[in-house]
Amino acid sequence: MRATNMKNSILKTRLLAAVVAAMLLTVSAFAAAPGITGPTFNLQAAPAYINQPDGQMIYSWGYGCNGAAGGFLPSAIAGASCGTMQVPGPTLIVTEGQTVTVNLQNNLPVPAGNTSILFPGFTVTPSGGVQGLLTQEAIHGGAVTYTFTASTPGTRSYYSGTQSDLQVEMGMYGVIIVLPKTPVAGTACTNGDLQASNASAQGAWGEANFTLSTSAYDNPNTCYDREYLFQFSEMDPNIHTQALLQVNAILACTAAVCPTLQVPTEPYHPAYFMINGRSMPDDMDPNYAPQYPHQPYNGDPHMHPGELVLLRIVGQGRWQHPFHEHGNHVRILGRDGNLIQSVSDTTSLAGPLLFTTTTTPGLAMDGIFYWTGKGLNWDAYGHNPASADPSAKLPCTPDGNGYNTTATSAINYYEWCQDHNKPLQSKPFGDVAANGPATLPDANILTNGAWYGGSPYLGPNATLRSTGCSAGAPAGSCGATGSTPPSGTIANSPSDEAGFAFMWHSHNEREITTNNIFPGGMMMMMLVDSREFVIDETN
Amino acid sequence: MRKQLQVWLPILLVCFATVGASAQSFRIQCPTSTITHPSKLHNNDLEPAYAGPTTFGTDANGHFLVPTANVNGAIKCQQISGGDGYATMGDGTQTYMFSFGPLSGLHKIANGQPGTDSPSEFNKLYSDSSQPNPYLQPGDPATTNGAGDASYTVGNVGFDAAGNDTSSFTFDGAVGLAKNIPYLATIYDISEGVGVNRNRVTVVLNTQTPFGIGDSVRICGTGTLPCSGPYDGTWTVTAVNINNPFLTPNFAFQFTHPTAGLPDVNESPTATASSVPGVDGHVETRPMLDVGVMNGNIPAPLMAIDEDDEFFLTLSNVGMIMRPDLFEQHTVHFHGYPNASAFYDGVPDASVAINIGGSFTYYYLAPDAGTYFWHCHITPPEHLQMGMVGQIYVRPRQDRVAVGGGLYAALQQQQTDARTACKSSADILCSNPLPPSNTVLAVSTIQNGGTSGGYAYNDGDGSTYYDVEYPIQIHGFDPNFHFVGMTFNPEGFTDMKDKYFLLNGRSYPDTVTSGPMATQSVDGSMHYSQPLSAIINIPAGKKALLRISDLDVTEYQTLASLGIPMKVIGYNAKLLRDQAGNNLSYLTNSITLGGGESLDVILDTSVARPDGTAYAAGQVYYLYTPNLDHLSNDAENFGGLMTEVHICTSVTNGMCQ
Repeated sequence: MRATNMKNSILKTRLLAAVVAAMLLTVSAFAAAPGITGPTFNLQAAPAYINQPDGQMIYSWGYGCNGAAGGFLPSAIAGASCGTMQVPGPTLIVTEGQTVTVNLQNNLPVPAGNTSILFPGFTVTPSGGVQGLLTQEAIHGGAVTYTFTASTPGTRSYYSGTQSDLQVEMGMYGVIIVLPKTPVAGTACTNGDLQASNASAQGAWGEANFTLSTSAYDNPNTCYDREYLFQFSEMDPNIHTQALLQVNAILACTAAVCPTLQVPTEPYHPAYFMINGRSMPDDMDPNYAPQYPHQPYNGDPHMHPGELVLLRIVGQGRWQHPFHEHGNHVRILGRDGNLIQSVSDTTSLAGPLLFTTTTTPGLAMDGIFYWTGKGLNWDAYGHNPASADPSAKLPCTPDGNGYNTTATSAINYYEWCQDHNKPLQSKPFGDVAANGPATLPDANILTNGAWYGGSPYLGPNATLRSTGCSAGAPAGSCGATGSTPPSGTIANSPSDEAGFAFMWHSHNEREITTNNIFPGGMMMMMLVDSREFVIDETN
Repeated sequence: MRKQLQVWLPILLVCFATVGASAQSFRIQCPTSTITHPSKLHNNDLEPAYAGPTTFGTDANGHFLVPTANVNGAIKCQQISGGDGYATMGDGTQTYMFSFGPLSGLHKIANGQPGTDSPSEFNKLYSDSSQPNPYLQPGDPATTNGAGDASYTVGNVGFDAAGNDTSSFTFDGAVGLAKNIPYLATIYDISEGVGVNRNRVTVVLNTQTPFGIGDSVRICGTGTLPCSGPYDGTWTVTAVNINNPFLTPNFAFQFTHPTAGLPDVNESPTATASSVPGVDGHVETRPMLDVGVMNGNIPAPLMAIDEDDEFFLTLSNVGMIMRPDLFEQHTVHFHGYPNASAFYDGVPDASVAINIGGSFTYYYLAPDAGTYFWHCHITPPEHLQMGMVGQIYVRPRQDRVAVGGGLYAALQQQQTDARTACKSSADILCSNPLPPSNTVLAVSTIQNGGTSGGYAYNDGDGSTYYDVEYPIQIHGFDPNFHFVGMTFNPEGFTDMKDKYFLLNGRSYPDTVTSGPMATQSVDGSMHYSQPLSAIINIPAGKKALLRISDLDVTEYQTLASLGIPMKVIGYNAKLLRDQAGNNLSYLTNSITLGGGESLDVILDTSVARPDGTAYAAGQVYYLYTPNLDHLSNDAENFGGLMTEVHICTSVTNGMCQ
């Protein structure tokens, strides 16, 4: 076995352990787009160590809160914190039209010199500090203030405008989200009462709403039900090591003339590829997890069929990364807070539909994703009218678009009705009907993945029935047909979750590694969950 | 005798149980009739002409929808191997790959065409086809085509200059497919009745009978071997569950024999009853391994399906001969499949992965038309870099609108089927809403009876029409990584640096070689390693569709057109059109793609050149990368990501005339 594979298995073990630990802590999924509220933000720039799944602690600089944060959103997320420094910096959440004030205190070590923040896309009035190349800068121990109007809604990046090649690499970047002043909601949305209906379905299972708004822009085509923020960046650990050595050397220098900080940022050789400052699998741990005191934000998206999910995707490093969303396309709404509209009808969207959303340094995209299973050509819920299980015999009443939306409290809310009851498999498969087109092979020639739900069906009820393991099934029938309920799939339990897992990752595949170890880097698993599984983003 | 049977019975049952549970590892699936494509309504070997949206009723039990008329699409099948192989780089270096190879459509793949087949072609047995060799040879089709002969030169088999097929090897069926006997049981007693029942034969098996009334059953060994005994022959079962003096009724069945008075044959050591050998997906392992091993292609076998098709894609993992230390699984990720299931998405973490010696059949209802691609999803930075990347595209329903039919009307009709409708107000992810009303009529396409041409998308206005199409896949190889990948050393990912830059697995000047390129493998036989040329031949005044995908795993790649403007009509398998129906296509002379992206470009020679003159046969243009360091083949400062565009008088089978 190769050394990399050895590392693989070690990492996998660790990954599974981490997942198990996470589950023990909270029994839930963790996500949303958390941040701090303004419109006045007291920030500081400070050093700290961030950690990576290969065990390395990386010396970094980042933005954090200078004193208590004004507030946290979504309010339902408990345990939110904003320390002296974090990577990425705090997500600043404001509302369109607000006057935003950012006070930045420079608490970087003396050798780091000045620092600043650029807010591209806004007309910024800086005050205080000293004149820098691109804006007013804060000297060590000093402060600077930036004031601007949150002119239009959308997601935008912010980052250091001082010695950016080094400071951005060290971690000095973040995101500002501007929420629309008059968000579109409910029946005013183009898709009619879908938002209300999705909210009703969430409510039926006791799910809270973790969105920051009801629409991404002041446009009825931008309504959404769930949202996630993903910031892409990479790190060359040699630069960080060199920065630390030089900072310490300069601080310890007692000579009359001490060297200045001269960290080479070329040749650039990144080894860490991160989403929200974390590498896989750390990105799938909770927001504000105590093991990452300086990397509070995660990347662990979950959704139910039919929910419109807003993705805020931001490039923060210096490379482009082709972010591939398995499962469906993404409709790009706008870039850097600029809604892309049709020339003939400004309500209609004109942004592209992408299965790979290329992140570009400094560029933010807002996009909408959904998953419904439309067109699979088999009943993804494994319904079987001949079953004894009531959940196997749910009706599917198509609305005008072919989906089951009337019974918002049903497990199969938003099922694609054209395939209702249509079998996949040629032979009976557990308690799932026969006469379909496909024959599943002997499970012995297959290897099960850690996120494999156990069957081609969505949701614990369907998965357990299809593997003969539902309550009341004859003894010994469990696993006798088709896929066995996989013992290794603890990241997506066949009995509790059994979601459809989709890998969302950089398709420059070299970047789904952590310092030469696969798996890692810019990767996460997105779970489409049946309604039975309650998505809880409170952590 | 009873006692002996009591001993044998449990053993037999155990054996049968084992066989039933483990089945066989390699196997193939390609049904001729399904719920969606019932053969009684529809010839599944042909794409039916478009006659409007499918109408549905319910099945006999009233449980689910079944088509009642206007069945659209057909059934398509393909088999691929997952394993390893060698390819030849532009500087002559032979590079080791983890790779997919064709295990069906071998002849088509060798000719640079999609290997996807209809059931009748796919399910054809090699033994029933007229081939020069009685058995498939290791390295086929390259071996039969003479790629190992001294006179062989690169790319000299396939279509000759006139576009005639010169291949000796013409078999396109599934490799390994063989007739199977699903049921074989030993007979305890076989006898005829008396009186009116004197022609009625009762067969008592040593096990429960698997046969039903009407089944064909083959009796053998009731007398002189082979199969010349009194009862030997193929019969039709007339009754089951027969009371008999020996065993329980469910061990017995009956059939009618024309001859009366045959002797009772009891406890014959040779008598058997079996089902009639038939094609049921059973494969013989030897041809699978003879052809599949060390037969990797770059790009992986080309696939093409039509909207509304059901696609059965079988991946058979034949193992990697050069890496006996690895037990690598493989999968197929259909990249860009909308509303995918996790089960058939090919991500090993989220589904199942196929072990060495096993087959898995992926099942897809064809998604919306567009240029997609596919690849293995096991340890992607490794398996993709090592070469497990291929192309798949979906042709639109619009191709099947009869010549002279209204394209707008056809698109409008599909708005009544919720699956194919595109209402921007209800579906934020649909990309082909109705364009402005128009009267553009359907022209000849391959799918509606023509010899060439088609539409890239269901545009409803003919704006994506092309005369010839070329799949172009961008990729890169890091020779150091490939060398390490052939040895037993740990691989470094952060140091990965491509040195070969590939269009359809070839770097210039190999990109402009027509026909399949062959590479010798360590087994000494020649294999078609790079069957797909990258020459773009366009009849003067016509339009060429380039289906461009990028699966490079390390960096972004730019492809520029030196001369003919590139009209970008689709991106990421979606038509470029806004929600209000406005055409968003644009002209450019270069496109840039990251790994995991695709894009559709039309090179239009029907318009005048920028200087006002017309495109004319004999002109040569270039597609090349302005990433100038990518115009190299490792140490050679010449080559890389470049190919030629030839303007021709006409194009026959891709060959410039």
